[in-house]
Amino acid sequence: MSNLRALYAIALKDWKKYWRYPLNAVSTIFQPLIWLAPVFFMGQAFSVNGQAQGFAAYSGTTDFMSFILLGTILTNFINAVFWGMGYALKEDMDDGVLESNWLTPIPRLLILAGHSLTNLLITAITSTIMIIVAALLFGFQVNGDVLAAFVPIIPMMLGLYGFGFAFASLVLVMRDANTLVDMSSFLLQIFTGSSFPVGSLPKWLLPVSLAIPLTYGLDAVRGILLNTPTLFPLGLEIALLVAFMVLMLWLGAWAFNKLERQVRKWGTLGQH
Amino acid sequence: MESTTLARTGVISNLRALQAVISREWTIFMRYPSWIISLFIWPLIFPMAYLLTARAFSGPDNTGLLQFQAATGQSEYIGFIAIGTMIWMWQNVVLWNVGFALRNEQHRGTLESNWMAPTWRFAFLLGSSVPQLVSMLLMLGVSTLEYTLFFGVRFEGSLWLSLLVILFAIPPIYGLGFTFASLVITAREANAFVFLVRGVVMIFCGITYPIAVLPGWMQAIAAWLPQTYIIRAFRTAALSASSFDAIAPDLLMLALFGAFWLCLGYTIFKWMERRARQTGAIGQY
Repeated sequence: MSNLRALYAIALKDWKKYWRYPLNAVSTIFQPLIWLAPVFFMGQAFSVNGQAQGFAAYSGTTDFMSFILLGTILTNFINAVFWGMGYALKEDMDDGVLESNWLTPIPRLLILAGHSLTNLLITAITSTIMIIVAALLFGFQVNGDVLAAFVPIIPMMLGLYGFGFAFASLVLVMRDANTLVDMSSFLLQIFTGSSFPVGSLPKWLLPVSLAIPLTYGLDAVRGILLNTPTLFPLGLEIALLVAFMVLMLWLGAWAFNKLERQVRKWGTLGQH
Repeated sequence: MESTTLARTGVISNLRALQAVISREWTIFMRYPSWIISLFIWPLIFPMAYLLTARAFSGPDNTGLLQFQAATGQSEYIGFIAIGTMIWMWQNVVLWNVGFALRNEQHRGTLESNWMAPTWRFAFLLGSSVPQLVSMLLMLGVSTLEYTLFFGVRFEGSLWLSLLVILFAIPPIYGLGFTFASLVITAREANAFVFLVRGVVMIFCGITYPIAVLPGWMQAIAAWLPQTYIIRAFRTAALSASSFDAIAPDLLMLALFGAFWLCLGYTIFKWMERRARQTGAIGQY
């Protein structure tokens, strides 16, 4: 019960902090749309009579904007969990409150999970608004079962928590990982096929994409919601995501506990 | 006997102040060498996202590509997109670095004390831009090299005309940076303004597509943005064997935009300087 109260307190603090800067909140909604606009117009330049036939040959749908929008929404959630916890720790470090928070008698992984709650809620709100605006501007249509889409989404998101724990421990050690995060998050976006079907990648790049479990998450969700052909049978992709979830949760918690103990030994927790 | 005070300023002392600011900025710039990684990696990975999407649009049998060629008049899309994204990156970095030059001084707590120095205050802004300009020219060179080596872009145009376009691009790009730097100093949520300005460039200036595919009202807005002319002129100069006449109208527009943005940047800076003295709020953020 006290842990739940702590979770609520962390989430509430992040919520208040986020809405303190409302212009940044507006830009969270419009940023992905701004990045998508060049893709939309580029798609027009490659389309014959408004039909992206080339894209359809790879993806199984001419509705490239729905395909890309789904990828963008999932990427928003991936980023919220993936990097959100590490960034929140970095902010606590810079604000000088990390050390005192660390002294509170609650599990440290819970502090991390608490930081991701507001992120997830905000991402859900901003993504919903983004979808409405995008549907009006570019068009957006899904014809599959939305509830069924959660079958691959849940193991994918839980697996990401594991990665988020590991990344947060890296932030504790390195104390600054912004350049690394910016670049790796951009590369991840590229190789998971956020804005194109990975089947169109050159043959030498395709193995990179197939080695990232998130690729199967995006592929499975699109397969369910847009009825596009998947890279592997849907059942196999979901099984891969469940395996990814178990492995990453274990690995992430292990790495975090080990590195966090090391940082306490060094006594560098309060430094930034 | 006539006394000489330290507060007496002239052209030479102003130039010395400018040199001191440049020297300080250069020292800070070299102190954080992570920019070297960015210099080599970003020009590769940023266009890659759009290039791979364009590859998917082309289709396995190049159905889409034929349409793109008909719309743009360009024989290949890689160079077309690479140049568009390169100019966008340039403007983006200028907004973050030059645009935040005074803001960063505020954060460091040194702006107010520097402001009290009896010297030409515009030197603080101008001096911050010089190391940034050097690094950006380096980035343009590295990008061109990487696009040739890794993406196989064939720059079949003229090197001199391309350099001429870059020269004409500097005043509007940095003029916008100066204007921005003076404005964000009073704004609490400066990041959102960067997102807005770079977003406008991204949507309207045709970084990945020909302006012709935009609706009429968007084309009208694009015509008022200097980046539209920079991108078009650079593509013409670098990718095709065109003469000076082909880029002359764009260069003329860039000269006009350059004069406008530099004047606006300086005027807004002077306004901000006066306002700072009146409100005494220059150290706050």
